[in-house]
Amino acid sequence: MTTTFENLGEGDSIDGPKFEVSRESIRLFCDASLDYNPLHLDDEYMKGSFGKTHFGGVIMHGMNNFGLISRMITDWAYPAGAIHRRLETRWVKPVRPGDTIQPAGIVKSKQVTANSRWVLIDVMVRNQAGEKVATGEAMVEFPG
Amino acid sequence: MVQAEAFETDFWKHANLRKVWDDIVPGEPRQTIPYTLTRDAIELYCASVGEDHPIYFDEAYARTTRYGGLIAPPSIHILLMFACTPADDWMRSPGTVNAGQSWSYNIPARPGDVITLQARALDKFIKRERLFVVHDNVFFNQRDEVICSGRGWTIRPE
Repeated sequence: MTTTFENLGEGDSIDGPKFEVSRESIRLFCDASLDYNPLHLDDEYMKGSFGKTHFGGVIMHGMNNFGLISRMITDWAYPAGAIHRRLETRWVKPVRPGDTIQPAGIVKSKQVTANSRWVLIDVMVRNQAGEKVATGEAMVEFPG
Repeated sequence: MVQAEAFETDFWKHANLRKVWDDIVPGEPRQTIPYTLTRDAIELYCASVGEDHPIYFDEAYARTTRYGGLIAPPSIHILLMFACTPADDWMRSPGTVNAGQSWSYNIPARPGDVITLQARALDKFIKRERLFVVHDNVFFNQRDEVICSGRGWTIRPE
């Protein structure tokens, strides 16, 4: 069934793409984002502690989660003629090489404003153990 | 237009030039540089997160959509944040941990756009002994139209 503003309901789910995290995928994200922070590249550095944090090894960019959630939202919105308008995320757990992550969304509510129609979506990314690594909210506009 | 220097991928190299938490003044603008977004850069970003929608790659298809041509994915600001800031920007301090971000999207960025950034630290605070800085950013195209605006929470290494 085609997604429309009218037929969407609270609790409807959106499935995102599975993503296998590796040193290569992290390195590619470095090149694509120009974010070469040693958090993502330098095992020796990551054995230490800094800023009251300790990870013990390289971690994936938090914004890689953000990019995957955004991909899920746009791939869902485009066929419906809808527009991805906002995404807010928080990182809950680090993601490491060898993890497989997958974003998902659940429609939380719909709202009509003076000039348009909006769908609010709770989003999350889970790892292979089912643990949430990122959570957030998205807002999609369905122009009338 | 003056082309930006080749991007320095060694984030340690300018580490001593970057502001630490104590030096960062909320409200003070960050220095930024204009950046020409290319189709290659968009395609590389798409590859890194598996974006495969034809609206980013297939010009003939893109022309049939509401956008009338190729666009970049909304999340291209992930690249723009580093592309539009100089090597001594504090966002590149090794050990900067991103705690979360929120972004609002107005119009898409497109290949060929010359993109500018207005950015600042908006706030800084200490929580559970950690040093936080909130950054605040707006990206514009060459017609001074807002592409997107966003905010991020970072934990500073020092």
